[in-house]
Amino acid sequence: MEYNAPFPAMLSVQKFVEVSDITRIFPTPEGEVRALDGISFDVRGGEFLSIVGPSGCGKSTLVMLIAGLMRPTSGVIAVDGRAVSRPQTALGIVFQNAVLLAWRSALDNVLLQVEMRGLAARQYRDRAMELLRSVGLDGFERRLPHELSGGMRQRVAICRALIHDPPLLLMDEPFGALDALTRDQMTLDIQGICARGGKTVLFITHSITEAVFLSDRVIVMTPRPGRIDTTIDVDLPRPRRLAVRESSAFAAYAREIRDRFLARGVLRDIEEPA
Amino acid sequence: MTPATRWTSWTAPVVTLAAALIAWELVVDLFAVPEYLLPPPTGVARAMAAEWRYLLFHTWVTTKEILLGFALAVLVGIPTAVAIVSSPTLERAIYPLLVASQSVPKIAIAPLLIFWAGIGTLPKVLVAFLISFFPIIIDTVVGLRSVEPEMLHLARSMGAGERRIFVKIRFPSALPNIFAGLKVAVTLAVVGAIVGEFIQADQGLGYALLQANAVLNTKLGFAAIIVLAALGVVMFVIVDVIERRLIPWHVSHRSDLIVGTP
Repeated sequence: MEYNAPFPAMLSVQKFVEVSDITRIFPTPEGEVRALDGISFDVRGGEFLSIVGPSGCGKSTLVMLIAGLMRPTSGVIAVDGRAVSRPQTALGIVFQNAVLLAWRSALDNVLLQVEMRGLAARQYRDRAMELLRSVGLDGFERRLPHELSGGMRQRVAICRALIHDPPLLLMDEPFGALDALTRDQMTLDIQGICARGGKTVLFITHSITEAVFLSDRVIVMTPRPGRIDTTIDVDLPRPRRLAVRESSAFAAYAREIRDRFLARGVLRDIEEPA
Repeated sequence: MTPATRWTSWTAPVVTLAAALIAWELVVDLFAVPEYLLPPPTGVARAMAAEWRYLLFHTWVTTKEILLGFALAVLVGIPTAVAIVSSPTLERAIYPLLVASQSVPKIAIAPLLIFWAGIGTLPKVLVAFLISFFPIIIDTVVGLRSVEPEMLHLARSMGAGERRIFVKIRFPSALPNIFAGLKVAVTLAVVGAIVGEFIQADQGLGYALLQANAVLNTKLGFAAIIVLAALGVVMFVIVDVIERRLIPWHVSHRSDLIVGTP
């Protein structure tokens, strides 16, 4: 099947996702809302790309468009060289909410991914157990979602997005509903998972810190209508430890992004004392 | 449920009921109310004990009508709901008519059903069906539509077709709502069967009730009403037990109005 296709060669140079001049307009009773306005960018194979921006800048719309779950008003998106015209299957998606099935155990929620594809869940069982173990959920495989904490549920959702080993991972504010400590741990976990798998990742977030910590590149969006404000290459050695956040290089990247938000009025700092 | 809450959840209604029965007995005694107007609870109990064979026979007749009417409501209601949800055209064609049909009093068309379906079990089953299928449809439709949109997005990104999505996601998601509808429906089916028997019958609890009233045997009338109430409760509890077996994931974390099996 498609997602089992040979791993794209020369990942570091190839444009795995190409977004060309995408505009998306939503009709509403109060008139048209322009969520995205002429967006173009690429995600290179094996790259971790974050998109940061204020609420309503069309970040989530972008995920829906790349996944083929929504059509753009104009423009073209291509994934792995093929134009996106219907729901893409060679990817894994993680949303802000875990969206697990309440009657399925953690393990069976992970296996939903393969069952829905018509594959034999039995053959993926060991891999699912291993994935759950790798995110610290061993011993919780049989628990139902309501017996798990928010962070655990989100880990299950991440395992579900990885079980079929997709080349592309789309994450739409995956840590948005979690507490600060859990977010830190999840950030580390995601770094580990992505480093191991050589995945191409598009990561949507509000958090400047998360974006800088995880990414090879960060795209900063403007408020609605969403346009690309600037793109920042994050050149910090990997693997990154939590302490890197206190380094001056990290602070410089974070400041660069924050300054864009200040310039656009997304953030308004207090006046400097006289 | 902790033992303490279980104790209070059973005790409070039992105590209230006992107090009501004692008050009833005392009032009848104190004011010497004639038995044909209001028999004391002990009198009703004696009538029930004396006539248990008679009551059992008519209970069986009514139970059959209820179960058949309810089964018909499930067999028609759930597929209709699936059709409504799966096709906007069908929804436009069926839904408004369904809602409008609910403003027609079922009791008003019951005599017509006797006229069409003759005497015997069938017309009672039809009244029970007519009166109970609506909540099943409404709740099933709501349930089938309650799936989070993000879950459906995920399912499509997994390459699943509508059939697989229905079997693995939509239908199981709808089960809590379906059971809510079934519980309302089964109690309405009891009402339907009795209404049918009131219009025309030569057996069943509704018939027994009318017969007892006709000869001013109020004790027996009360006994029939109590059996009827018990029948309704039993039907409800059966649905509740099936729900607990089938969707423990839902039952275990909802707060329940009704005292069920622990």
